[in-house]
Amino acid sequence: MTKPIKGRTGMIEFRGVNKWFGALNVLKDITLSVEPREVVVVCGPSGSGKSTLIRCINGLETIRDGDLVVDGQRLGDPATNMTRLRTEIGFVFQSFNLYPHKTALENVTLAPIHVRKIPRAEAEKAGRELLAKVGLADKVNAYPAQLSGGQQQRVAIARCLGMRPKIMLFDEPTSALDPEMISEVLDVMVAVAEEGMTMMVVTHEMGFARKVAQRVVFMDAGAIVESGTPDEFFSHPKTDRSRAFLSKILRH
Amino acid sequence: MIWQQLQSLAGSYPLALRGLGMTVMLSLISLVLGTLIGFGLGILRTGGNRLISSVIGAWVDLIRGTPFLVQIFLIFFILPELGIELDAFTAGIIALTNLAACFICEIVVAGIRSVPTGQVEAALASGLSRWHRMRQVVLPQAMRIVLPPLVGQYVLLIKDSSVVSAIGLTDLTRVGWLVVQRVPNGLLVFFLVGLGYFIVCYPLIMLARRLEQRMGAAHGEVQL
Repeated sequence: MTKPIKGRTGMIEFRGVNKWFGALNVLKDITLSVEPREVVVVCGPSGSGKSTLIRCINGLETIRDGDLVVDGQRLGDPATNMTRLRTEIGFVFQSFNLYPHKTALENVTLAPIHVRKIPRAEAEKAGRELLAKVGLADKVNAYPAQLSGGQQQRVAIARCLGMRPKIMLFDEPTSALDPEMISEVLDVMVAVAEEGMTMMVVTHEMGFARKVAQRVVFMDAGAIVESGTPDEFFSHPKTDRSRAFLSKILRH
Repeated sequence: MIWQQLQSLAGSYPLALRGLGMTVMLSLISLVLGTLIGFGLGILRTGGNRLISSVIGAWVDLIRGTPFLVQIFLIFFILPELGIELDAFTAGIIALTNLAACFICEIVVAGIRSVPTGQVEAALASGLSRWHRMRQVVLPQAMRIVLPPLVGQYVLLIKDSSVVSAIGLTDLTRVGWLVVQRVPNGLLVFFLVGLGYFIVCYPLIMLARRLEQRMGAAHGEVQL
């Protein structure tokens, strides 16, 4: 049965969302609204539920109760076509998850050709442009195994952009990278943010957060503990837990 | 005396060729059908519907856990009791196809399960339909795992086809039985029968070995 959504909703709207893994309450009463064109950085200690939070948005995880409304559609509602909704949501994984049997260009054009039904020639032209945009014009025909981690992650971002999504989600996009490759990926993410993409980014890259995020959300033990502008959060953290967390990641 | 036997054997040449033809025909038809059905079953088995999955699982276990000779007798002698008349050739094809499909199903399932979940998640996240996820992302990667044992399974199938001689099909093995009644030298006759099977199987054995080496080396570029 379709329940009406009360009031206006943001591009991504969590209302009292709970999720359990067995007896473990991994998301506790999450309420959060992300406006169109807003960039929200989610941080917190490992196991705090950050990845689970954004994986719920495109249905890689399901929620037990509460409402999660994305682009005006309630998840878990029989009227919501999850496959179609996913075409509007780009997802960048920590471990890239490029298709190893396809070239960089084929990775980028696969969904546009088969989901958006864009003619191959047109999709390939757009794909080349996207790869050029992320600085990989010369790697169009390379297979993922022939690319560095940073290059693979940039292909993965181009793969999402190829679908012209309304929302981009990033699940620790730089944590699997060697330090010298982190900035090339962050630069691409900054460019995407500056074009007005709605983004939720799970990351500990505080430089990125300060540069482009309107808001930082701090999670601990499955709950949102604190939320504020990057400046407020980094300069004047309000809770003991966020202070303890920040002292750990900023020490180095 | 051995000379006489060889001469007599040479006279059985057309019969032997017919038997070999029957063996190849039976194997080829059930190999093609078994592959198609086996892939279908394997995909359904991993498809997430628990009922379908367990029904297929139970059937596969049943077939793997009973002798092929018994299966072929059941199909040839029991089905007519239920009003389904089958000639020996059709019964042989059904039994062999079913056997091949069950073994190939298990191979395909193992291949599909070897594909990392991240691959499926990436395909899901980009909105690919079930069919495209399978066809474009999962199966091409599963083929790396599937191909070598699949070809190995074809070899087993060709050899298992000898059991159909039990329901009167004149395949290579039955030709052996017929010939040995005229030429009383079982060792010689069945040596030649074995050689016939080996000639058909050996190229496949070599192919399986080459595939195994190539799969180990390449980084996932298998075209379906």
